[in-house]
Amino acid sequence: MQRRNFVKLSGVAAALQAVPSIGFSQTGETFRIGSLTPITGAGSPYGTGMQQAIRIAVDEINAAGGAGGRKLELFTEDSQTKPDAAVLAAKKLIEVNKVQAVLGTWASGVSLAVLPLTDAANIIQMNVSGAPTISTLDTKDLVWRFQATNDRFGIAFAEICKKYGFKRPATMAFNNASGLGNVEGFTRVWKQRGGNVVAHVTYEPNRPSYRSELQKILAAKPDVIVMGSYLPDTTIILREWFQSGAETKWVIPGWAANPDLIKALGAEVCEGIISVDTVSNEKSAAYAHFDAAYTKATGKPASTNIYASMTYDMVVSLGLAMEAAGPGASVAQINAKLRDVANPPGNAVGTFAEGKAQLAKKAKVNYEGASGKLDFDKFGDVTPDFGVYVIEKGQLVRRDVVSIAA
Amino acid sequence: MTWIDIANLIINGLIEGLVVALPALSMTLVMGVNRFPNAATGDFLTLGAYGAVVCQLLLGMPLWLAALTSAAVTALVSAGSYQLIFRKLAGRPMVSSMLAAIGLGFLLRSLIGFFAGHDQRTFDMPLMRAWNFGGIRILPTDLAIAAIALVVLAVVFVLLYQTSFGRQLRAVSDSADLARASGIRAKGLMLAMWLLVGAISATGGVLLGMKAIVMPEMGWEFLIPAFAAMVLGGIGSPIGAVLGALVLCVAQELSVPLLGPSYKLVLSFAVLALVLLLRPAGIMGRIQLVR
Repeated sequence: MQRRNFVKLSGVAAALQAVPSIGFSQTGETFRIGSLTPITGAGSPYGTGMQQAIRIAVDEINAAGGAGGRKLELFTEDSQTKPDAAVLAAKKLIEVNKVQAVLGTWASGVSLAVLPLTDAANIIQMNVSGAPTISTLDTKDLVWRFQATNDRFGIAFAEICKKYGFKRPATMAFNNASGLGNVEGFTRVWKQRGGNVVAHVTYEPNRPSYRSELQKILAAKPDVIVMGSYLPDTTIILREWFQSGAETKWVIPGWAANPDLIKALGAEVCEGIISVDTVSNEKSAAYAHFDAAYTKATGKPASTNIYASMTYDMVVSLGLAMEAAGPGASVAQINAKLRDVANPPGNAVGTFAEGKAQLAKKAKVNYEGASGKLDFDKFGDVTPDFGVYVIEKGQLVRRDVVSIAA
Repeated sequence: MTWIDIANLIINGLIEGLVVALPALSMTLVMGVNRFPNAATGDFLTLGAYGAVVCQLLLGMPLWLAALTSAAVTALVSAGSYQLIFRKLAGRPMVSSMLAAIGLGFLLRSLIGFFAGHDQRTFDMPLMRAWNFGGIRILPTDLAIAAIALVVLAVVFVLLYQTSFGRQLRAVSDSADLARASGIRAKGLMLAMWLLVGAISATGGVLLGMKAIVMPEMGWEFLIPAFAAMVLGGIGSPIGAVLGALVLCVAQELSVPLLGPSYKLVLSFAVLALVLLLRPAGIMGRIQLVR
């Protein structure tokens, strides 16, 4: 390009930027929601069901006449469980579809990558990720977490170890925010209660062997090993542990100690492993209602996808907040109402329609969700209950439900 | 830390080193003869592992037969990639071949991911308890892995140092022009070497899968350690590649009690830097003449 033309063109570009952009009025007839779940990648067993759960809730709200006088409009994208792909998809949702909320990010890495974009656009972000840093990075209080933090998983691990009478726990953590968050939460609570952690290692991903790490842990003679781990590394570690003939129990998060682990290692190796995962709010009216709708839509019960009920609750609580904020409310006004409609005090409601009826009577509502009680703390995080599963003869059998204080 | 702990760490390092030695050896052969770092080596590893998984799953073969079949298939893919890609880039700068190899790696990985999915897979093999010699524990699986790796290394060294194929190959590696002038026909020789490179990589992939798990990214993640072992041993030196792999992995494991497992990778690269400071050509490398 010749210099003269370049100068001319840059002049035009600068002039164009100076023209005020034509503002969209926020009182349009729809409220636009972006679904960004992991349809492919590591989260793919859950992503499709999560997207369907979002659609179920959107249809319910629209069938009830919309929220705050507006119908919801849904745009769906695939996060691919990859931060870079998720950022591109989020940009498209925000800039092209002009969504006012991005829902359903699953992996911590994805949520952490998308969060700066949604915060910059001043729109709502709702996720099911575990990384503790999400709580503090969100300075505008626009980010809502519908899953327990890794730290709370760690607290639940401590409760479970106490319950089962373990005395000498050791910890192993995958070197990232999620893995370390799990064992740090455990260690903090365990020590507060006067316990002692006999050994700890932080290990690297993608190693062909973890024998030296295991050797270091087993040298301290623990009676239980508490893990902050993922499926691939857990597979390698357990195989080497079993072959080395050590006798310890294991407490492992549910996303690592799942049926795939049993498939990879066989029933004998996995016998007696304690797997911990959050449980849905199974006794609630909301869960019964959602389970029926989900089964009808997907052919599978809601219990097959722990994250589906969480994403369903995202849309319902958002709808109730819109209803509470009234017609034509801005994103910020709706965002400010989320705690009002989800936390006590208030009349407990289990569906959007119920809540809408209560709000019409000017009553204060408290949505008791399908995934949990949905009481948001000051960071916008919830505290669900945890299920304790023991692997017996190659099956995950639920033995217990543990509640922790928020 | 007792002597028994240290002995265990050394054993872990040696076994890991033998697994790393195979891709390092295959890279060093290509580097010596074709003069470029074959970045697709890692994905030949992955291909070898998946080939064996497919043979086990669909054809019900025992693991040894699955591994042999897969090595044969990977060897063909490797020779095919030379014939179609690297042969045509022979006269170009090293970078173009290296980039082509990176591209080939991406292609293989994507194809594997597309057809086999991204879920982890494991070989169907029995798990056996370790033998315990007064605290020194040896896993039967690890012993099998070490034995296979040693047999492959032995076969490759016999080929390189005891056959006319090996002599010709070393002649080409020393000076391609001189070899051509002495009447060595490079084409068949190259194809044979790329077959060998594929088979070595595939065996390494099966061993890695036996030790860890089989995933589409497994070989790619393994490329850097193999590359480091090759550089440490001296580029183009087969014995050096094996030594380099053993030194790096043993140094890594021995650093666990001192630095903890998070930093053992750093230590292996510190060893690499140190050796290269003292011997710029690597352990077994020769100083290349500048022509």
